Amino acid sequence: MAFNEFVVPERYQDLTPGPQVDQATLNRMALRSCFLQSSFNYETMQSGGWLFAMLPGLEKVHANKNDLAASMYHNLDFINTHPFLVTFVMGIVLSLEQNKVDTQTIRAVRISAASPLGGIGDALFWLTLVPITAGITSNMAIQGNAIAPIIFLVVFNIAQFALRFGLMNWAYKLGTTAIDALTANMQAFTRAASIMGVFIVGCLTVTMGGTQINLTIPNGTSRSVTAHTVVVSNEEAANFTDLDGIDTETAEAGTLAMTDTEGNVLTAADADGNAVKTGVVDLGNGMSSVTYGEVTESPVEFSVADTLNTVLPKLVPLCLVLVLYYLFAKHNFTPIKGIVLLLILGLLGAGPFDLWPSIW
Amino acid sequence: MEASILQIALIFLVTFIAAIDQFDFLESLYQPIVTGAVVGLILGDLNTGLIVGGTYQLMTIGNMPIGGAQPPNAVIGGIMAAIFACSLNMEPNVAVAAAIPFALLGQYGVTLFFTVRAPLLEQFRAAAVKADPKAVTIWTVISEIILGLIFAFIVTLFFIGGQAFGQTVVEAIPEWVNTGLSAAGGMMRFVGFAILLKIMMNRDMWAFFFMGFGLACIIGAIESLATPALLILAFIGFGIAFWDFQQQTELKGALADGGDMEDGI
Repeated sequence: MAFNEFVVPERYQDLTPGPQVDQATLNRMALRSCFLQSSFNYETMQSGGWLFAMLPGLEKVHANKNDLAASMYHNLDFINTHPFLVTFVMGIVLSLEQNKVDTQTIRAVRISAASPLGGIGDALFWLTLVPITAGITSNMAIQGNAIAPIIFLVVFNIAQFALRFGLMNWAYKLGTTAIDALTANMQAFTRAASIMGVFIVGCLTVTMGGTQINLTIPNGTSRSVTAHTVVVSNEEAANFTDLDGIDTETAEAGTLAMTDTEGNVLTAADADGNAVKTGVVDLGNGMSSVTYGEVTESPVEFSVADTLNTVLPKLVPLCLVLVLYYLFAKHNFTPIKGIVLLLILGLLGAGPFDLWPSIW
Repeated sequence: MEASILQIALIFLVTFIAAIDQFDFLESLYQPIVTGAVVGLILGDLNTGLIVGGTYQLMTIGNMPIGGAQPPNAVIGGIMAAIFACSLNMEPNVAVAAAIPFALLGQYGVTLFFTVRAPLLEQFRAAAVKADPKAVTIWTVISEIILGLIFAFIVTLFFIGGQAFGQTVVEAIPEWVNTGLSAAGGMMRFVGFAILLKIMMNRDMWAFFFMGFGLACIIGAIESLATPALLILAFIGFGIAFWDFQQQTELKGALADGGDMEDGI
């Protein structure tokens, strides 16, 4: 596998602002944004599709080939945003690229702007538009109405493309007008963008970090006496009172008893966990209500996840991010090495060939 | 019902398009309400296809791909349900239920695919280093075709082989491989996070990282805020970043003002 060690420079070589991007190119970018998830993967999620969508604009603003390479490379950073709202981020990032802002700033702005859009898009599309349109048209379809799928497609796609094209244009204009104020204080802006960027990555570690060690360790058994109450005839009640007394500490699970070895009544827990005394109550109509105890044994398990959560929720994702950061920043680990490391960790943790229990 | 070669080819094609469309393109063609009708049309029973598609669609409304989670795969599920109903004459509701295991298999498959697709990124990185936009386009197309083909082959095999075949396939995969790969898939995003941190981090930024982590833990514990969580967090993060920006620029401004004063004196 080809492996590429490439260091993105802090600044582009050609720092003169690129030419204004024309409408046709913006439209091409909006169309290409439909393929945002074309190379979706769990390492950088939508990055490949993002680069694919950004390329028409990047080619326009970066005449210098080295700058284009640097820009393409850093546009492959991790990104996960909503597919229908992505053009908003694209417009902003394009205006930054055009003005040759520091690469670190562009990267920080991109992750900060992209990440929160996921929730908005989910709320707009998956929780509002789709349930309403699909809900209505599904019922039409169930009645055999062939126009239903078509209505669904038309409504959904009008909304989708209006957003894609509208946001692309609006965000690009917004970015180019705001840029002058920002470039006047470039250093402070880079710092602020990075603050927001690391803040968001901290948030993502929690909201997107689902990794947990779900190992449970058997930790002996606990023994208790469970109360059962039955109503039987007086003759049958005698069978219960004749039961041998037991030692609740040693009796086998499943043993029934009314008294302990010294003849004292037992205290047992009923279904609600309340303590009740064993005994026989004559109901007066030839029937008796008998409360007897049954020795039960239940396994006790020690849950690693519960313990970790009391230390800190999402401790595992945090540790993994910090370890990977350490490997990348201090040991020049490459992304692909990190991926292989995690693959091995995942498979080993799952207990290959049933050699040990899975921890996932 | 014996399927003709043409029908098999059309099912293959429909699945190919729907598989790509579930993540890209119009992101609506893959919905069961559409695929149900199309599969019904192919198998000569549009009405049944519409009913099954509508039934499956209603079921998926509460099961959307929110927050990057993978729900049972609606492409395989929707198409298989329509196939069962139209070719095996199952009742629509029964067909939908019979398709669920296939949808779950699809969900597994997608998770595994997203995990093993990570190395593809190296091709994109290679293209970037050479500043070669064409290569990006080529790899994007290849990537989509692979996804489409995998889905199309699986669904066509199920279409020909029937339900028993699907079960055999599911049982042939050892469980630890499944769990291991999906656990690794869940962790791979941390590589992306760590690289972002490497770029943006310097020594006085760690506090903001942990601040984000801490606040997200708190909001994460509030169930009703699950969907807007990141937006709320972004507001907070923006406030802090903006305040810092003002501090930095005002400091500069104050220094400049101070200079003016001296000049004046």
